[in-house]
Amino acid sequence: MDVARLRESFGHVTAHGDELPLFFYSDLFLKHPEVRDMFPISMAAQRGHLVDALVKIVSQVDSVDDLTAFLQGLGRDHRKFGVIAEHYDAVRASLLATLEHFSGPAWTPELAADWKAAYELIGSVMTAAASADEQLRPPWWRGTVVAHEPRSFDVSVLFVRPEPRMDYLPGQSVAIESPSRPRLWRYYSMANAPRQDGLLEFHIRLIDGGAVSMALTSRKVAGTELRLGPPVGVLTLGQPVSGRDLLLVAGSTGLAPLKAILDQVTTLPQPPKVHLFFGARTADGLYDLDSLEKMAAQHPWLTITPVVSADPRFAGETGSLPDVVARHRGWSGHDAYLAGPTTMVRDAAAQLASAGMAQDHIHIEDFGWSEP
Amino acid sequence: MERALTTAWFDEQSRMTPEELQTVTFPTSRLGRRGYEEGPVREFLSAVHAEFVRLVNDRTSLWQEVQRLRRRIIAGEADGDGDEQTVLFGAADAHVHAVRILSVAQVTADKYVADAQDYSSRLTEETRRRRDEIMQEAQQYSDRLLEDAHAKAREAAVSALNVATVPQSDEQQRAAQAELAYLRTYSDVYRSHLRAYTEGILRGIEEWERKETASLQEAAPGGPTAGARGPTAGAQGGPTAGAQGGPTAGARAIDGNGYLRH
Repeated sequence: MDVARLRESFGHVTAHGDELPLFFYSDLFLKHPEVRDMFPISMAAQRGHLVDALVKIVSQVDSVDDLTAFLQGLGRDHRKFGVIAEHYDAVRASLLATLEHFSGPAWTPELAADWKAAYELIGSVMTAAASADEQLRPPWWRGTVVAHEPRSFDVSVLFVRPEPRMDYLPGQSVAIESPSRPRLWRYYSMANAPRQDGLLEFHIRLIDGGAVSMALTSRKVAGTELRLGPPVGVLTLGQPVSGRDLLLVAGSTGLAPLKAILDQVTTLPQPPKVHLFFGARTADGLYDLDSLEKMAAQHPWLTITPVVSADPRFAGETGSLPDVVARHRGWSGHDAYLAGPTTMVRDAAAQLASAGMAQDHIHIEDFGWSEP
Repeated sequence: MERALTTAWFDEQSRMTPEELQTVTFPTSRLGRRGYEEGPVREFLSAVHAEFVRLVNDRTSLWQEVQRLRRRIIAGEADGDGDEQTVLFGAADAHVHAVRILSVAQVTADKYVADAQDYSSRLTEETRRRRDEIMQEAQQYSDRLLEDAHAKAREAAVSALNVATVPQSDEQQRAAQAELAYLRTYSDVYRSHLRAYTEGILRGIEEWERKETASLQEAAPGGPTAGARGPTAGAQGGPTAGAQGGPTAGARAIDGNGYLRH
């Protein structure tokens, strides 16, 4: 395999922009119409994902070790879409046809062989990871919405019963597909540690224009059957639990994974001290404060500090969540877990780091294998 | 285009023509033997050989030219009329043409979805804004009521103190009682005002909810599960090469947990 030739060829074809993935998917759907049902109606985002993945793969194809974790994750992740080994052949054929089409006279038998070899490498890692995963868990779980509780203007809490039972680490997330938004998967964190009855709690915030969040916050969702992907994510307590005190910083529905961690702490024989900051724009956005305060009343090791950023009348801490956390000081002996809007998490992490907290002790969600 | 293709044939004046093959003569061999002189014949054969090589090369480059033109036509860049396109269309082109048609259809569908999403986004934004306005208005209104009530109470307290220090005539007592009755009525009226106002808002909210439910039912006449596919139908569900909405390839979708958004 001539990697330089491969990259040069790829650079040439990607100059065609969106035409490339457009041709690929049309070719694939014409040759295998049954595959179309695996994708959402709008393919705009999908085409971007395909090109992003190809760019990553081509740029790292000569350092397969670095790529392996990414490809294994990709292979496992595709199980929930119903991808099976046969689909890899179909994709290879359409990918080669697409590259040939856009390469023009530059398409030679040698180049075709390079691409074929690269694809075999990628496909074999993905299918191997997928088939190993088959031994461990189903491709997806059926999840019946047993309760839907509107908590504020734009936040609802869902209770979902997965079948079969799902094992996961508190702090992890699953992709959810709603029956009214076929083939659109969005990640949500479980807000509880695994329970006896197996129920999963999700906190859903309505995003303006968010197709899936709109379906999941609608009252119509009660009783429907969702599909849940496998649990993923690394925002979890270490094994064994370090025993250091915990600082939890939750912005809006970023509370979900941290509440799951809190839930786990309640089961520890010697729970560490936990200080949870729960922030929202207005008091109305502190949608789960009642249940948190009930927990704090039961557990002397737990302190809850609600923070409101956009309402000076709030009878409590006001200001930006990272600022309020930083004002409190004395976090050096803590492990910090941060979840919420990206900018909030970034700011809070930066403030804690500049206050002397080591990076090892600042935990944020990082989809390891999936980052570009 | 025709001209461009044919000129290549006449560019090189030295090239062999079919007529030359017919009119070629060779000197007879010496010493009275029958046959041609070997040297010129070999020379001629080598010229024929060179010509054949050129023909083969020309054929290849023309084939590539045809391919290139086909692609141009398919890409819609050709200036020729429809008939020309039809003539130049092969079986492989039919597939590429189908791919193009499907691509156009897909892009159209993408636009419709984007428009719908945009519309729904504006709708929720507007609702959020109106909700904030209503809440703010209600807050201001209740603040005003509270202020008024405070002022009245202060007034009443002051006049009660005054009344206590000064011996009261029957008339003053009656006036004080009248004032008290007025204040009670006043507070009753305010309370009912506030209640009516709050109930009005609640009715508004119920109205919205009813409309929402009605439009939901309209949108899905079969009820909430009409759109649900069973788990078996769902046995296929997702993409192949590349990543699908989710953490795959790091591309975050627009919703999902707020903190998982890109």
